[in-house]
Amino acid sequence: MPASGEPYRFEHQHLLSIDGLNRLDILKILDLAETYADATRREVRPDPILRDKTVINLFFESSTRTMSSFEIAARRLGADVVSMPVANSSVKKGETLIDTAMTLNAMKPDVLVIRHSASGGAKLLSRKVDCAVINAGDGMHQHPTQGLLDTLTIRRARGQVEGLKVTICGDITHSRVARSSALCLHLLGAEVTLCGPKTLLPSGTDTWGASRAVTNFDEAIEGADVVMMLRLQLERMDGAYLPSRREYFRQFGLTAERLARAAPGATVMHPGPMNRGIEIESAIADGPQSVITDQVEMGVAVREAVLDLLAGGRA
Amino acid sequence: MSTLIHNSRLLDPASGLDGPGGLLIEEDKIAGLGTGFSPDKVKASEVIDAGGLCLAPGLVDLRVKTGEPGEEQRETLATASRAAVAGGVTSMVVMPDTNPVIDDVALVQFILNRGRETAVNRVYPAGALTRGLNGEAMAEIGLMAEAGAALFTNGDHPVGDAGILRRTFAYAASQSAIVAGRPDVESLSGSGVMNAGALAARMGLKGIPRDAEWIGLARDLILAQATGVRLLVDRISTGKSLDMVRQAKADGTHVYATVAAHHLFFNELDVGDYLTYCKTNPPFRTEDDRQALIDGLAAGDIDAVVSAHDPQPPEEKRLPYSEASFGAAGLETTLSALLALVQDERVELLTALRAVTSGPADLLGLEQGRLADGAPADLILFDPNKPWLCERENLLSRSANSPFDGRRMVGRVNRTWVGGLAVFSR
Repeated sequence: MPASGEPYRFEHQHLLSIDGLNRLDILKILDLAETYADATRREVRPDPILRDKTVINLFFESSTRTMSSFEIAARRLGADVVSMPVANSSVKKGETLIDTAMTLNAMKPDVLVIRHSASGGAKLLSRKVDCAVINAGDGMHQHPTQGLLDTLTIRRARGQVEGLKVTICGDITHSRVARSSALCLHLLGAEVTLCGPKTLLPSGTDTWGASRAVTNFDEAIEGADVVMMLRLQLERMDGAYLPSRREYFRQFGLTAERLARAAPGATVMHPGPMNRGIEIESAIADGPQSVITDQVEMGVAVREAVLDLLAGGRA
Repeated sequence: MSTLIHNSRLLDPASGLDGPGGLLIEEDKIAGLGTGFSPDKVKASEVIDAGGLCLAPGLVDLRVKTGEPGEEQRETLATASRAAVAGGVTSMVVMPDTNPVIDDVALVQFILNRGRETAVNRVYPAGALTRGLNGEAMAEIGLMAEAGAALFTNGDHPVGDAGILRRTFAYAASQSAIVAGRPDVESLSGSGVMNAGALAARMGLKGIPRDAEWIGLARDLILAQATGVRLLVDRISTGKSLDMVRQAKADGTHVYATVAAHHLFFNELDVGDYLTYCKTNPPFRTEDDRQALIDGLAAGDIDAVVSAHDPQPPEEKRLPYSEASFGAAGLETTLSALLALVQDERVELLTALRAVTSGPADLLGLEQGRLADGAPADLILFDPNKPWLCERENLLSRSANSPFDGRRMVGRVNRTWVGGLAVFSR
C-alpha cells in the first residue's frame, strides 16, 4: 500500500469484464494471485477466508476445466461450493436466466460464478442478485479471469508485461479470451497484435486494446515475445468461415518454423482445450517454450485472488 | 353537438398554417377554423379555452403491431388504441403478422369490426402481401383492398424470392394497392442482433450489417420501377438508404420512405449494457445515420414517420440480449421524439408534423390528417414545451418495452379527439 495519498481499494462488487478494471485493480489481483500461487507451490494452505461462505458455480455451457478451476480455488479458501452444470438440465430449458438467478439469489450465496452462451449474460444476472457475480465466460464477450491468468502467466514467465510484443492468433471474432486478454495486456503496457483469417477478424479491435490486426501470421509473429494461440471450433473450418483445416494449419498453425520468426525464447500459450495439429504442433505445445500448463496453474491462483477480493471481506 | 376550441395555436401541415385562432367541431367534422373562431363570435354547446397550446391534426401512424388476434397478452386493439390516443395517434394501421395472419377478407373485416367495437381511435388493417406471409403465394390483394385493407405488406420479413416479389408488385400495381416492404436480405442480416460494426464486435454480439438493407432496398427499388407499384419502403435506418430512395424518386419511381421515430432519437451506443428495450430490427445505427435521417426529415424527404409500435411482454425482454425479442413500444413517444428535434431546431415544427399527419394520410388517400373545413375532427391539443419523464410504469400500452424508459422528454399531448369525440385528456 502506498505510504502517501489515498490508499488503494478494490472497489468492485462484481467481476464481469476487464473493461471495468483499471491498471491498479489488475495489479492488485495479479499480486494477490502471486501469493496464492506461491503458497500452493510451497504446499501452504491459505487462510480459510471464505469459511461459512457459499460459492455457486452456474455453468450454462459445459466446461470441465474452468468449473473445476473455480471449484478448487473456492475450496482452497474454505468456501462451501455448489457446482451446477446446467448445460443439459431442465434448468436450462424453459426457465429463464433471470428466474434461475432469482431462485439462486433466494438461497443467499456469497458468490455466483456464471458461464452463459449469451454475451451480456453475466451482466444481466448481476442486476438481479445481491451477491458478487464472477463472469466465467459470456458468449463472445468476455472471460475476465482468463485474461487475468494469461497476464499473470506472462508476467511470471517474462518478468514483466510492459513493452512486450504479444501476438494472439486464431478465431478472434468468436473469442471472449481474445477480448479479455488483449485488453488486460494492453492495460499493463503490452503491445498486442491480433491475427486471424479475415473472416474471423472483426473491425474495431483497437477499441479493445489491440495495436494492430493482421491476416498474415508470419508478419504477425515477427519478433513476438509471446505467441498465444486460440482454439478454433472445428465446425468453423468446413467452408463457412474457412475452406479447410489443412489450409488453416498451413496459414495459421504454429509450427517450429514459424516460431523461429518470433523473438528468441518466445513464450507459447494456449487457453485450451487444444486442437493439436490444427492450431499448434504437438512438439511446440509440449516443448520448452510452452507455458500452457502454467496457465492452468495460474488460473486457480487468479480465481483465489478474485474470490478473496470480492467475498473475503478484506478488500 | 358542437365544440369550440379557441385561444390556440393552429398548426396545419397540409396548408402550412401556423397561427393563433380557434376551431369549431360540429358532430364528427371540422366546421371551420381561423382567427374569427372565438366565443364572442361563434356559438357552441361546449367551449374549450386551449390556453395558447398547439391544436393540430391527430397522428396517422402507418406501422403499429398489436397482438390481436392470437397474442392478446402483448396488446389488443383496445389497449393499443388507448396508448395511441395518449400519444396523439388518432389513426393507426395495424400489421398483418398476427395469429392467424391477416391474409383474407374475413380477417380484414374482423380487424375492422374489432377496431370499431373496442378501439378509441381509427383502426386500419394492413393485409398480408403473401398467404400466411410465407413469401410464396400471393394473397387476395384485390378482395382485401375492397374490404378495407389500407396497404399490403409481408410484415417483418421481406419476400425472399425476387421472382415472386416481381409478380406480386406487378399485380398489386394493377390493383392500385400500396405495398410496404422492409428492405432486407436475411441471408446477410441472419442471426444478427444489433448494428454490425466495431461496437457489436466489442460486445460480442452478432451484427446486422447495413449492406443487408442496401441490397434489399436496391432490389425492391428496381422491381418497383419495373412494375410501377407504389412502394412504401418500411423503416429505412441508414443515410445511404435515404439517398437511394431520393434517387429512385428522381427517376420517377412511385416510392415513399418511412422512418421509425426511435431511429431519429437513438444510435447503436444506446444499446449500452445489453439493454433489450433497445433491441429493434432494423437496429439502431450509427450516429452518422441518425443525423442523415434527421436531415432527411427536415428536407421533407421522409414521407412518414412511424411509431413501429411493437409490444413485447416482459418474458420476451427479460432475457440475455441475444435471446430477447426485437421490438419497441412507440405509440406514446412518437410525437415527443419529433418535438425533441423541433426543440433542438433541427426540424421545423410543421415539417415534423407533416410526416405524421397529412404525409401518411395522403399516401393512404385519407381525408383526415389536416385542419380543413369538412375534414374529420381528429385533433390533438399539445404543449410543445412540456417536460416529462417517460417511465414504463406510466405507459398505457399493455407491454411497456419502451427504449425511452427513464428518458426526459419534451412536449406532450393534453387532449385528443377522434371524430369529434374527446377520447383522451391529461
